[in-house]
Amino acid sequence: MVSVFLKDDNIKVNVSTGKSLREIARKSGASMEFGCRIGDCSTCVAKVLTGNNLLNKINAKELLALNAMGTNEENLRLMCQCNIEAEEGEIIISYFI
Amino acid sequence: MPSITTEISKSIDFIGAFDPKIRTFDIIMKTANGSSYNSYVVRGSEGVAIMDTVKKEFSGEFFKRLESLCQYDEIKYIVLHHLEPDHSGALEELMHRAPQAKLIISGRAVMMLKGIIKTDVPFETANTGKKISLGDKTIEFLSTPFLHWPDTMSSYLHEDKVLFSGDVFGSHYYDERLFDDEVGDFSYAFKYYYEHIMRPFKQYVLQALNLYSRFEIKTIAPLHGPILRTNPQYYVNKYEEWSSEAKFRKNTFGKKMLSVFYMSSYDNTHKMAEIIMEGADTIEGIVASMYDLASLDERNMIDLLEESDAIIVGSPTINGDAVKPAWDLLSCMAFLESQGKVGAAFGSYGWTGEAPEMLHDRMRWLKFRLPVKPIKVKLIPTEAELDGCFAFGKEVAEITMGKMVEMEI
Repeated sequence: MVSVFLKDDNIKVNVSTGKSLREIARKSGASMEFGCRIGDCSTCVAKVLTGNNLLNKINAKELLALNAMGTNEENLRLMCQCNIEAEEGEIIISYFI
Repeated sequence: MPSITTEISKSIDFIGAFDPKIRTFDIIMKTANGSSYNSYVVRGSEGVAIMDTVKKEFSGEFFKRLESLCQYDEIKYIVLHHLEPDHSGALEELMHRAPQAKLIISGRAVMMLKGIIKTDVPFETANTGKKISLGDKTIEFLSTPFLHWPDTMSSYLHEDKVLFSGDVFGSHYYDERLFDDEVGDFSYAFKYYYEHIMRPFKQYVLQALNLYSRFEIKTIAPLHGPILRTNPQYYVNKYEEWSSEAKFRKNTFGKKMLSVFYMSSYDNTHKMAEIIMEGADTIEGIVASMYDLASLDERNMIDLLEESDAIIVGSPTINGDAVKPAWDLLSCMAFLESQGKVGAAFGSYGWTGEAPEMLHDRMRWLKFRLPVKPIKVKLIPTEAELDGCFAFGKEVAEITMGKMVEMEI
């Protein structure tokens, strides 16, 4: 199991590999904000404080959207594009405005 | 086309269009005084920049004004502060007429551009700090996202101290006299615009104001309504005041507000509401209150929703649905920031009992935190069910106060 801690909502969810962050947010009742859900609008950008390596690699579309934000912050991801790929570990996420 | 004074400063002219007859904007906004789609031409020693265009059906007016002030081959840049159709309606035609011009959009607008112009067109993206030069004029860009589209940016013309603010500081108010000191009283339209367009994005408003504060602003040139040249700081202060209000009240009272909204046919949902409130109110740091939706108007709903850290909505089920005032309440969230608010739903029912789950589902789409499952009671609640209501209220209040929620999916 992978432990996902959504810091701003104080929600800790234990999940199996393959789950998407969208599904985790929906099922846990988190307030994580999604906009277009297809990686265009950057509404769901979040900072992965721990465990970015447990998620899928950044795809081209996500990279384009993140670059467009013009910020130097590290470990930013679009939650609508993220899936858990590891079997075990801890992921800590903070929403980013 | 009426003849108007279009000069904003020695190097800036208005080339927008007027829409005096529009009475509803974007479906939700009433526009008793019509509106305008503001666009500007900036002239420098080495060319011209066009700042935004207009709604498509007003392209004729826009191009006539533009042609009276510059030649197409002088246009060096076309700047779109966001790509909403009321400002990008003449973009494709303008790019056709001025093919040498560089289109400048924000990074977030890239995919939106493809949605508006169906062919690939050249463009450059701008983030905070990027500058473009017209020789003796310099325009600097500021990233001001979500005001009110994700791709919104602003820009500042250094030499003239003019802020091109996009929709920020706009008003739906038609008056060809253009300037705040010459038009009629548009104060209601300025506030109405803020409340309907900017209020859901207060945090982003405050971030933008912080960026704007780096510059001395002599004139604000928004995309709708009067150009603000008399005392721009007055309008900045208003935005700051309105965007800080709820935060100010929370900080002052130092408690978290939990509001129970309900409607009741036979007093059963009301009884549940009372006990839920009692349970919530036992938690230190929470002030719980309850409101009968039958007696709340929209204005009160919006203010209460904004103030509340947690919102619990109760409705009986009538014909397989929640009652209309409950839906009306949640539709008010369109005017507010929702992120981080805790939500929950409950209700008594006679036959089918769908209302609590429907309200819960709606709140999910409105980006509430919904860590507690909805509860429903068949007709008159028993003592045990009322105990459940008490625990439900308590649980929602504890989570609102920061209790961690743990689960397995």
